[in-house]
Amino acid sequence: MIVPNDPWFDCLPSCEAHVPCGQSRHIVRWEAGTLRLASHPDPEAELVLAALGGEKARCVELAETWGRHAEDLSVLAIGPRGPADEIAVSWDDVDAAAQAGQRGGRIGYRPGPRHGPMRLASPSIPTAARAQARQQQDLEDRERAARRRNDMLSLLALGYGFQVRLIGQVAQAHADRPDQATEPETGTEPEPGTGTGTGTEPEPGTETETETETAEGVSGVSGVTPALVAAIAGRLAPVAEEWLGIDPDQVVVSLHRGPGWGSVELTGRGEQRRLRVSLPAGWLARVWAAGLALTGRHLVVAVERAGWPDARVLALRAPGTEPVPLDVHASQPGPVGGGRQVRPTAADAPHWEV
Amino acid sequence: MNREGGETFLRLLAEAEMRDQLAPSPPPWTGSPGAGRVKVKVVGQALTAVRALDTDTVEDILADFDLAVSVRRLHDKAGQGPAGTGLHGTTPRTMRAASAARLAAQIQFGRAGPAARLALSRPPGSTGSPGPADPEDPPPADHDPDQGTPDRFVPLGVTVPLHHDGISGDLHLMSYAHTGSGARFIALWGKPTLSPQHELGLQNPELFPIGRLTVTDDRGSAYELDYTHGGGSEWISEISLHPAPPDDIRWLEVAAPPSPAVRVDLTPPGGGEPEVSEAALSPGEQLLIMLAEQLLTVAAQFPLAPRPGLPEISPRPVQAMGAGLGDIIAGLEAVDVLSPLSPVPARLAALCASLRIGGHGIAAAPADDLPEPWLSLLAYYQRRKPDTAQVRDGYAAVTAALPELDGIRLALVGLHNTQGATVLHVLARGVTREGRLGPFSVDLDFPLSFWLRDNGGRWHAAHPVGWNPREPEHAIGLLLVPPLPRSTTWVDVLAGGRSAEVRTRLPLRWGFPS
Repeated sequence: MIVPNDPWFDCLPSCEAHVPCGQSRHIVRWEAGTLRLASHPDPEAELVLAALGGEKARCVELAETWGRHAEDLSVLAIGPRGPADEIAVSWDDVDAAAQAGQRGGRIGYRPGPRHGPMRLASPSIPTAARAQARQQQDLEDRERAARRRNDMLSLLALGYGFQVRLIGQVAQAHADRPDQATEPETGTEPEPGTGTGTGTEPEPGTETETETETAEGVSGVSGVTPALVAAIAGRLAPVAEEWLGIDPDQVVVSLHRGPGWGSVELTGRGEQRRLRVSLPAGWLARVWAAGLALTGRHLVVAVERAGWPDARVLALRAPGTEPVPLDVHASQPGPVGGGRQVRPTAADAPHWEV
Repeated sequence: MNREGGETFLRLLAEAEMRDQLAPSPPPWTGSPGAGRVKVKVVGQALTAVRALDTDTVEDILADFDLAVSVRRLHDKAGQGPAGTGLHGTTPRTMRAASAARLAAQIQFGRAGPAARLALSRPPGSTGSPGPADPEDPPPADHDPDQGTPDRFVPLGVTVPLHHDGISGDLHLMSYAHTGSGARFIALWGKPTLSPQHELGLQNPELFPIGRLTVTDDRGSAYELDYTHGGGSEWISEISLHPAPPDDIRWLEVAAPPSPAVRVDLTPPGGGEPEVSEAALSPGEQLLIMLAEQLLTVAAQFPLAPRPGLPEISPRPVQAMGAGLGDIIAGLEAVDVLSPLSPVPARLAALCASLRIGGHGIAAAPADDLPEPWLSLLAYYQRRKPDTAQVRDGYAAVTAALPELDGIRLALVGLHNTQGATVLHVLARGVTREGRLGPFSVDLDFPLSFWLRDNGGRWHAAHPVGWNPREPEHAIGLLLVPPLPRSTTWVDVLAGGRSAEVRTRLPLRWGFPS
């Protein structure tokens, strides 16, 4: 039975990036699951000063941003799927996007009213009030959207090494509680019967009486399972392609819960061929983020003893077999490049060997 | 309903589309750069339509998809591959800044607000009481939708002459409707003849002289009139009577002095009862049928694209509507609102084949049997010529109250041809105007299949093109495709919901506005 009790990040070395901060460039370091600001020994005090009207340092802002998104499932949807999917965002890009946002660039698309022969203008007073409220809501939505976009760009600008570590952190945050709702809304209850599809299946088109309806008629509670399944699928599919030569679209992923590491089996032939994989959300943090997913032609499904640069993993030589323990060793990441764009790229990712 | 399955399906679809779009050599079926987004969007709309997902979830998934694709294409203009691997830091600052600015300007992030509700008001110059109620305003005091009296719909076909201030015109009363929401005429204004002063712009014409009209009943009671202009060039209007006349009045006299009064007989027409037959459509089947009908009506508006020496192909808008149909079907099955044994996907595949739409991705083999209305519209699509003469203007006095379908009560209150199009006017209860649009702009607020069959055996699809939303009774204009020729003497109405189907035959009495 796999019951990891060591920290999820023990197979990850520290990494660092240079961030333009004020008139100089500061080092931001990730180490043992924590973001450290080498040039800002007391960020708490700086935050107090900023609250009193002082300028907030970009490094400090970045640490706040990191914290804001440490459990944000969007990080999984946006971030890299693997070393071949390196997302190159520079600090110039971040600055340009922020400036464009300040100039009031159009951020979102809002469908305009449809024109038909029976529609008229000249809103009544209550309608005008509602229109004003909608405008206000639109403005707030745009500001929130712009902030979220700029947050993501800043986090991506830290480089591949930070991106995968943040993905690991988000995945781990949800790994132990995958059934929770992302946005529980007042007055709604978690939807029963979701998850594994157990229980009696209703006829198509029928609904159970226990489903909670919101104003839109749809339950407002959304679990994290779909986002985690998609996150694993998006990252496992290219690994499976490299492992077995299978079409990524033929990889079917489900979320493993409970004891054990999960399952991997190959079914069908030709177009019906499927690699059915069930892995826990923690696989993203402990295995994928550490760069262990495919090591020595084995698919790593769990970490038995975490460590850097030596670890013991459970890995499959082929689908449908039992995992075997492998002692693996990581080579040091390559040297970080110099100049203005110092940050860990995919080339700096750990390379593990049996 | 498996809502978690729906969200998982949509997120996995987004993953697959992103993978295809960003591949170094995208496979040909991935289409243009925006094709992946379109597919995710229409499937999301389909899952929202059957209430498997809420719009916020779909928009969040789309927002993440947009940002994920955009950040990977950030430096495409600089000649980099999708991932930009290996060329990091080589792009000039100005180019990168411009790309990032484009990103800021293009990325959709966050949730769209609810679709704007349509506001109505009196047109300038009208003299009636305050305009139509806003959807969220309380109904007027005399609106009592549950007062228990039977509704009364009478086809009229009566013309009231108007002569005032050098203007001559006609007011055509198509029908009289008295429901729990009140009593009104459904009317059509004829194009007025203007005096030379009006023509020269020396005097502003009063085009809708509602204040000059008087209405009295067979007991001598007079009524105040409230005027709701439908907008558009056809000038369809509702003229409400306040207070609502008693249920048992036999006639009304409408006058526009100095012209003589015109008597309006309110005897309801006889006729057979509508036939009702049971149906058992799942929400997924109903949505697919709505999509098929939308496909048919859109296709009918575009000519086939000729290719010398090769079979004609469907025009681009029709082709575009085929994209994602297979994924929509798979998504509906994933949330258990469409049985894998349903015959509808196979019919949709046959429809796509008939319309020469490729790349739809429907797994089912095309069916041999298509519904008769679909075949009729397909035949129209394939035989029509671009220079087909337009139908002539005119209106038909026709009314019918249909039995309730899926909680929706429809009453037909008139039909008219203008500018080559035919619009059927209905009053609808049990619907809510939320501006909900499904895939390919299917109007989800009107979740019925609605067809007319003319006495020549041709079918005409009806879909909403205009709403006058007033709780609890909405006036809706349904556009008929193809338009109804004025030679039509009767129509069969076929309205279908999930639980039942209604058929009724109605005579048409045409009037001809000048």
